[in-house]
Amino acid sequence: MHKKTLIINFVLLFSTTLLLAQSKFTVSGTVKQKSSGETLIGASVAVVEKINVGVVTNEYGFYSLSLPKGKYTLRISYIGYKQELIPVSLESNVTVSINLANETSMQEVVISTKKDNDNLTKATMGTEVLNMQMAAKLPVVFGEKDLVKTIQLMPGVKSNGEGSNGFSVRGGATDQNLILLDEAPVYNASHMLGIFSTFNSDAIKDATIIKGNSPAQFGGRLSSVLDVKMKEGNNKNYKVSGGLGLISSRLTVEGPIQKEKSSFIISGRRTYADIFARLSSDLKDIKLYFYDLNVKANLAINDKNKIFFSGYFGKDVLSVSSIFGSKWGNATGTLRWNSVLSSKLFSNTSFIYSNYDFNVGFKSGGSETNFNSHIKDLNLKQDFTLYANANNTVRFGFNVIHHTITPTKAVGTDIVSNKESRKGLENAVYVSNSWKASDKINLDYGIRFSFYNVLGGDAYNIYKDNQLIHTIHLEKGKIGETYSNWEPRLSVNYRVSNNASIKIGYARNTQNLHLMSNSTGGSPTDQWIGNSYNIKPEVADQVSAGFSKNLNDNAFELNTEAYYKTMQHQIDYRDGADINTVPDIESELLFGKGRSYGLEILLKKKKGTLTGWVGYTISKTERKINGINNGQWYNAKQDRTHDLSIVGIYTLSSKWTLSGTFIYTTGNAVSFPTGKYVLNDMVIYQYANRNADRMPATHRLDVSATYDRPSKGKLHSSWSFGLYNVYGRRNPYSITFKENKSDPKKIDAVQTSLFQWVPSVSYNFNF
Amino acid sequence: MKNIVRIIFIALVLTSCEKVVELKYKGNQSRIIIEGNITNEAGPYFVRITKSISLPDTGTYPAIDNAIVTISDDAGYNEILTPQQNGMYRTNALIGEEGRTYTLTVQVENEVYTAQSTMPQHVTFDSIKVEQVLFAGDTERNLIPVYKDPITKGNNYRFVLSVNNKLINQHLVLNDEVRNGNVNILKLEINDDDLKLKRGDELSIKMQCIDKKVALFYTTLALMADNGPGGGTAPNNPPSNISNGALGIFSAHTVDMKSVMIP
Repeated sequence: MHKKTLIINFVLLFSTTLLLAQSKFTVSGTVKQKSSGETLIGASVAVVEKINVGVVTNEYGFYSLSLPKGKYTLRISYIGYKQELIPVSLESNVTVSINLANETSMQEVVISTKKDNDNLTKATMGTEVLNMQMAAKLPVVFGEKDLVKTIQLMPGVKSNGEGSNGFSVRGGATDQNLILLDEAPVYNASHMLGIFSTFNSDAIKDATIIKGNSPAQFGGRLSSVLDVKMKEGNNKNYKVSGGLGLISSRLTVEGPIQKEKSSFIISGRRTYADIFARLSSDLKDIKLYFYDLNVKANLAINDKNKIFFSGYFGKDVLSVSSIFGSKWGNATGTLRWNSVLSSKLFSNTSFIYSNYDFNVGFKSGGSETNFNSHIKDLNLKQDFTLYANANNTVRFGFNVIHHTITPTKAVGTDIVSNKESRKGLENAVYVSNSWKASDKINLDYGIRFSFYNVLGGDAYNIYKDNQLIHTIHLEKGKIGETYSNWEPRLSVNYRVSNNASIKIGYARNTQNLHLMSNSTGGSPTDQWIGNSYNIKPEVADQVSAGFSKNLNDNAFELNTEAYYKTMQHQIDYRDGADINTVPDIESELLFGKGRSYGLEILLKKKKGTLTGWVGYTISKTERKINGINNGQWYNAKQDRTHDLSIVGIYTLSSKWTLSGTFIYTTGNAVSFPTGKYVLNDMVIYQYANRNADRMPATHRLDVSATYDRPSKGKLHSSWSFGLYNVYGRRNPYSITFKENKSDPKKIDAVQTSLFQWVPSVSYNFNF
Repeated sequence: MKNIVRIIFIALVLTSCEKVVELKYKGNQSRIIIEGNITNEAGPYFVRITKSISLPDTGTYPAIDNAIVTISDDAGYNEILTPQQNGMYRTNALIGEEGRTYTLTVQVENEVYTAQSTMPQHVTFDSIKVEQVLFAGDTERNLIPVYKDPITKGNNYRFVLSVNNKLINQHLVLNDEVRNGNVNILKLEINDDDLKLKRGDELSIKMQCIDKKVALFYTTLALMADNGPGGGTAPNNPPSNISNGALGIFSAHTVDMKSVMIP
């Protein structure tokens, strides 16, 4: 009954907005960067004669505007580029493609690619777009520029720990972030146990993080969407760029396939720390490296149709002579077809393949044990954008993903394993509309209907209180349990004055794949599991409200947002569960709920020689799980009260740029022992409430300096120098408890710290 | 996991550092601790009842000498244990037998605590294999207890290690989950941060065949000690087989012991 009314309301809302469309003409086209031909995402196309009429380009640089017959001037703008004014005479539907030139005189580092006052006019909430040029100037450990580390400096996004690429958004778990690389989900976005991300920044065009209020075309994870787009490649000239760093080297080649029409890019990165290690006789039996390869090509079939192929391959290898070996990696491939079906209707069809593989093996005394797991996806996405009229942009489409998940399975000498791969079908249909209701009010609203089918081919056990009560043998090709969810999304922006606006939003997200993890750090031994007869889709409901104000002619931008989020069907495993060897991990699971609330403040300085931001979050995240902490609410491990980050980039001259970041965070919630006792002559610690204690706070200052060498002919080059943890703070990584060596009656708390003063230098070039 | 972290650090030419820190501990609620063992060796067997103390406390563990402790078995035998001082209680005529289920009852401070444990069939402990491997320039010694796991599934083993007659406070457990019915080839997961084995060390290992609940207790302790990146499993009081909120474990198990000198 409830659901029905909701649907009817939505249908009515859509039809009324569509009926408002009169007979008009349409101007459409693509916005590109002049020098390279890269399409520009999110460029603003406004009509000078009509206040508050305009659109932004979509993920493929496409725009479309419907206007009554007449003469207009289009103003096309994008931060960091020269604005263009183009007269258009609308007497029929026209195509206008625009090339924007870089603002050459720029002496400042742009920190956001969003338009000056986007934060006031758009209904989107909790969204940050990351500028890769800016990310390149920031200090990072080992000088490996890293978009995930930069995103962790945004309020509401918390790093899981020092050196970790795992992150938690608004109290969510690490697995609750949908990480997309050219639409392909990346299941493990980190290398070397989380120290580096899988994103080679040379190949990345832009990245957007949406903290829970994502539009209806996104779904499948509770907390956030990190949407990473690869560059398309220069379609005018061949270009080579690269870099040499302490840890890795990078090389990128790009160029036209058909001049000004299509292009390719190939970008690779490999670490070589192990090559140095091998020089030492002690370490010559160690292998340790990772590599990434990004490939992308696009082909224009005609003016209206374009095909893209993008691929990513990455692998980590870690082994010690023949006794221990481990390999893991992602491979993704995306084939996309863009089609302008009419001047108002844009279509994108994507076929996506994604595979994550993990293998670890041990050799000992003539026997061998290997643990394998993998997750393989075949994914079809169809998305339509209908530029209904100047005030309404409708998106609708569907998504089907076929998952094959092989849980961690032991193979080798004497091992009989009966674990089978499991299959599931994750489906969604959605529709949403972006509506300019008036010159003061913008609305984004939509609904996503998601459903998951458990597919046959394996036996599914049903547990009650961790005891097996029933087994279902589901035959291959049969559909088992099906879960479905309605996910409404809404955000409203009300412009209270010329330079201020308020926003409110509500979103429901669901998640059908779940990560079972022994650690917080994005460890390769993490294993994914789909919905089953015991595991139900996770559901999150988030309400948020925000206030934005721009000051000093948009030089300063203040965004604040408060949120309250509840999460259902959260999963944890019970004490003593060894998730790698237990025959059926589902027998070890516990279920419960979570809640998170907080306030985020972000003040940006966007103009001048000094740019940067201050981000602050105060928040609380709790969980309540049957069988943990006597069923009482307790702090989730990612709960941190305060999170502060200060980022500054100072352009000293046309050659030198200085930057610094400072972070302060409350320690993670942990459980310290409260007491001790002796059992069979061994001291054992006694614990009280779960996660009632805190690790000491973490704070750190990192600095870097970039020297851009004056160009020699076509060659541009730069040097970056960095120092991580300037004042050498010993930040806590872990705390363990040990008997004091001289006085065993005394228990010492021993803190391990990772990085103290890590200097770095890297050289980058392009020609 | 620790080893992987170590290799990464070596390869990145980094060192992590450790220091002792002062922490503020929450107040501790002193709880009843019950330790009970029945083995296939000749009696008497002992039950010990003490109380826990707060973590920074360096004093002694309070012993409880006024409890009424009884043990019964599934063959109808029943006896009251004799108090011995220092929280110890001794059996008088009980004979530990494989396959038998024992029930422990403790009455103390107006509360009753009970526990049950079944002694598994005895598995012969054949030998200790010491395997030397070169790991990142260090010689490491793996200890592999050699025994033939029976065909029936569900066997659990606990190992108590002493080096040069000093008991090592580490929880070492193996099971037949992955390789049922074979000669064991898995090494004991010893945390070598605190224990460096060297040539000439006298090792002795007691192998206990334990039941499922006792195994869960010790596996939980072992998993908590292995804190990989990010802190590992959230620590907690391990699930005990004793009712009514007492901590500790009551274990009926078989015992077999082997010694070896590191060559």
